[in-house]
Parts: sequence; structure tokens; C-alpha cells
Amino acid sequence: MSILQRISSSSESQPRVSRRTLLKGSAALAMGAAALPSTRGAAVEKPASGTPSSTFRKGKVIDCHAHLSHRSRATWEADDRKLIEAADKLGIDQLCCSTLTPRWPATLDGFRECNQWTADGMRRFPGRVLGYCYVNPGYGREALEEVRRYVGGRGFIGIKLYNEYTCTEPVVFPIVELAIELGVPILHHASHSHYFVEDQPRLTDGGHLAELARRYPEAMLICAHISGGGDWEWTVKAARHAPNVFLDTSGSVTDDGSVDMAVAVVGVDRVVFGCDSSMTAGVGKIRGANLSAQDKEKILGENMMKLLRRRKP
Amino acid sequence: MIVDVNAYLGHFAFRRLRHNTAASLLALMDSRKIDKAVVSSAGAITYRNAQAGNEEVAEEVRGHCDRLIPFAVINPFYAGWQDDLKICQEEFGMAGLRLYPKWHNYQLSSPCCQELVDAATEQGMVISIPIRVEDNRERSWLLNVPDVPLEEIIELVKAHPKARFILLNGIDYTRCPLGRKNNGLPSNYAIELSRLSAVLANELGQLITNLGAERVMFGTGMPFNYPDPALVKLEVLDASEPEKEKIRSQNATTWLQL
Repeated sequence: MSILQRISSSSESQPRVSRRTLLKGSAALAMGAAALPSTRGAAVEKPASGTPSSTFRKGKVIDCHAHLSHRSRATWEADDRKLIEAADKLGIDQLCCSTLTPRWPATLDGFRECNQWTADGMRRFPGRVLGYCYVNPGYGREALEEVRRYVGGRGFIGIKLYNEYTCTEPVVFPIVELAIELGVPILHHASHSHYFVEDQPRLTDGGHLAELARRYPEAMLICAHISGGGDWEWTVKAARHAPNVFLDTSGSVTDDGSVDMAVAVVGVDRVVFGCDSSMTAGVGKIRGANLSAQDKEKILGENMMKLLRRRKP
Repeated sequence: MIVDVNAYLGHFAFRRLRHNTAASLLALMDSRKIDKAVVSSAGAITYRNAQAGNEEVAEEVRGHCDRLIPFAVINPFYAGWQDDLKICQEEFGMAGLRLYPKWHNYQLSSPCCQELVDAATEQGMVISIPIRVEDNRERSWLLNVPDVPLEEIIELVKAHPKARFILLNGIDYTRCPLGRKNNGLPSNYAIELSRLSAVLANELGQLITNLGAERVMFGTGMPFNYPDPALVKLEVLDASEPEKEKIRSQNATTWLQL
């Protein structure tokens, strides 16, 4: 009997809550005093050879949208450790992390030191932290060099773009073309509200990403935080006909039906699990979605793993 | 036992809700082993005459009062609210109120609202206040309803020390006196956990430390929200089992005399 079957079985008088049942179960809390393991379970695979692809195995839970703390925060080191501890508690095996500058637009020096810190995070938490290379596309050649340095040379798994430019602006295209060349995904900050977001005038939304996807059908574009990016129903519908746009479930909003609608509209293979630091919200939404265990496995890790395996040698 | 102090029935004007009838909400509760839920009308948030929503809820919970505890939505600026309050309490058996000062466009400090709070308190009713209904970033183009500022809540609890308030759908209490130790405020309010963090910043743990577990209550916000995130918070919360039991059900049971 699988963990999922055990959790849903009413005949089980004392179901044991494990890291994985937190994600996949639906009624574990009801038993009240279920104990949590204080350390990571053996299910988390250690990296074998140091090559990123060696750490991607079936069954892993991968948070596609996480952040390490910027080191201007006095508590950055403890904050990073708390992130890993939270992942341990919630059964998240790996976190795809970027470090963002505290102010935007990011300067060249600003995103360069962020990527150094992300690389350091990968060393401090081996096998747990996977790095996104964060760049401001406005820096042109330097931004491309940064991506080559970290994705091409230091094992980062993708590129993180924020709100410096709307993704359909030509300045972004060379970054997308390089991502295609390297075979890595771009996680793009995105939101759609029915008003002008003054502090993010070049905000990207799901419609922009769908337009970019039509221009670059080989690109793997992850539309960030549908549950923290304004009207998620709009975003899901905007992405419908863009088969290379993937929807990240992260964000603090826990609206019922959001994950279900994403799966119903774009298909389960294009939905990827994320938290973006809203950890219990991220996990709870997947647990609450009315989907099969197989579909949840895809969202929790398999879909992201597929994207990561498309990396070119 | 699990008691959810933050649940709803009926339709919301700006988004389709699932599980919004008594039967479907109870089925959802069964699937999550939630025993009882405090419910109010989602429709009354935008109805001009909120009492129509209360009537819908009263009809819907009939036969399920052992599990669904109805609360009334009252707008103290609408004609006849005193009659509505009396009907809700005496005929519908509603044990408390939900107030929407921003959606219904009044001040918590206004004389009408003060009168409503006093009247409800005299009748032993609990007053719950959703700090928000939905995330402001996803709002309709038709309106822009702000969250209830916690500063206004502070003034309210100070002005009515004998009243009992449950604060729903809020966050950042620890950044203001409401969530701080020795804050000089009456202990007449409890905080519901659906938006509180239980890891990383762990505001939930901070509130237990600062105010005591007896001041925190379990709530989900269903069917607006998936119930599971709130359940997960309790699972991962670093607190003793007696503390969790208070949050899970004991506090609500005491306050609502269940």
C-alpha cells in the first residue's frame, strides 16, 4: 500500500505523518498528535557526482521558485538555514533558488554578487539548493556572460528574470536565445492585475509570456506564482495556447480551485510546484487540489525534473 | 476535534466558489476531518441588504446546526440593522457577527458601529472581523477595497473591553501591538491562523509566545481557500500538543460555548 493509500484509508487507526504525507495526504492533521521527524528522511538523495543532472531522480519534490536571502540582511545566514529546515519539515527535497537584489532595476554589480551568493548557497546546502542565474537583461553582453558563467560553467539550472523589462521587449530576446542554446528554463516574475502596478511599470504577465513563447517555441518559460500574481484565472487562461509556458503554483494566495483550474486548462504536464517562500501555502494548495496522486507527483517534481533534464551538454 | 472559525456559504460576487452549500461544505469538512465550522454569508459581503444573505445561510444550515455555526453579517449603516440583529440571534440562532467595514463603507469607530458592537456584546455574541476577503492584487476592475488597518482594530478592542473579537484573514500582527507581549490591550481578541506563517518568520509561533495559545484559533477561509494550507500549518507548528489542541478546537469551543 502506498503512502497515499495509507493516508486516505479510514481503516488506518494511527496513520503516521511523514515528510511526504504532508505533501500528499489530506487528513493527517485530523489525527492530532502526529509526530514529525526532526531530521530529513532517507528519501532525499545526496548528489552523487556533483553534476546537476545526477541529482534529479524520479519521486523528488522540487520547489521551482525559491529565494536565498540577500546578504544585506543581518540574518541572511539564519534565514537560509530556516528555508532548508522548512523544506525538511514539509518534505521538499530540492529548492530552485535565486538571490534577488533588494532594489530594482538590478545593477550589474548587484546581480553579480547575488549569483555568487547563490553559488555559495549551493555549496552550503549541497543537493538541496539548485541555482537560478539572475540577470538584468539591460546589461546586454555582460548579462549574457553572467548566464554563461553560472549556467554554462557552474551548474546553475536556469535563469531568473524579474521586472526590469517586460519579457516581450527585444532586449530580453538574447537571454531567451541563450537559454534555448543551453537548454535551461527561464523563471519569469509575472503578475496580472486589473490596474496599473505603479511600482512595476514593466511587469510581465501570462499573456506576455505566451507571446514570447510563440516567438520562441523551443524556450521553456515558467510563469511565476500564479497564486501571488494577481488574477490567477486570467493568467491561466492567457497561458492556455502556449505549450512552452509552464505555470508555477507558488505565492501566498491559497484560493480554492487555483491549482485545479491550472491543470484543467493547460494540462497537468505544464504545472510546476513552487512556494516562493510561502511554504505552507505552497504545499497546502497541492495537497488540497482535487487531483490524482499521479498528477500531484507530476506537479510536485516530475514536470520540473523533465525541464531540467533538457539541459544540453 | 477541529473547529474552523473562518468558513462561508453562498456565492461571492467576483469568483465562483466550490463547496459553498451546506452539503458540499460538510463533505469537504469530512474529507479533512474538520468537525465544526463557523459560517456566514459570502453573498452578504456585496449585497446591499446583508440580511438577505443571513436568511440564505439560516436556510442552508437548517438541520446541520450541530456542525455549522451560523454568524450574521450586519451592516450598521443599513436601515433596520437592529431588527436584523434581533432576528439573526433569536430566530436564526446566530452566535456571532462578521463585520466588513471596508466592503460596507463605514468606520469601526463610527457611532453606529459602536452601537452594534455594544448590542451584540450585550447579547453575548462574538464579533469576527475579516481583515481582508481576497488578495487585493486579484481584485476586480470594479472596486478597490483595502484591508482593515490593524490600527483601527486596536482602537476597537480598546473601546470595547467587554466585547469578544476574532480577527480573521490577517497577518503582521506581531508588527503592531495586537501581536506583542504586554501590549496594554484588553485580552478580548483572538487571532485566526489562516494567513499566518508557521515556518520561516513563524508568526504563529510568535503569537503563541507573546499572547498565549489560548488567543489563537484555527481557521481555513474555506471555501474561498483550500482548507489544507491551514491544516499544514498546525502540522508543522513547533508547539506542544496541549497548545495545538487549544488552537485546533478548545479556544473556539470555549468562546462559542459549543
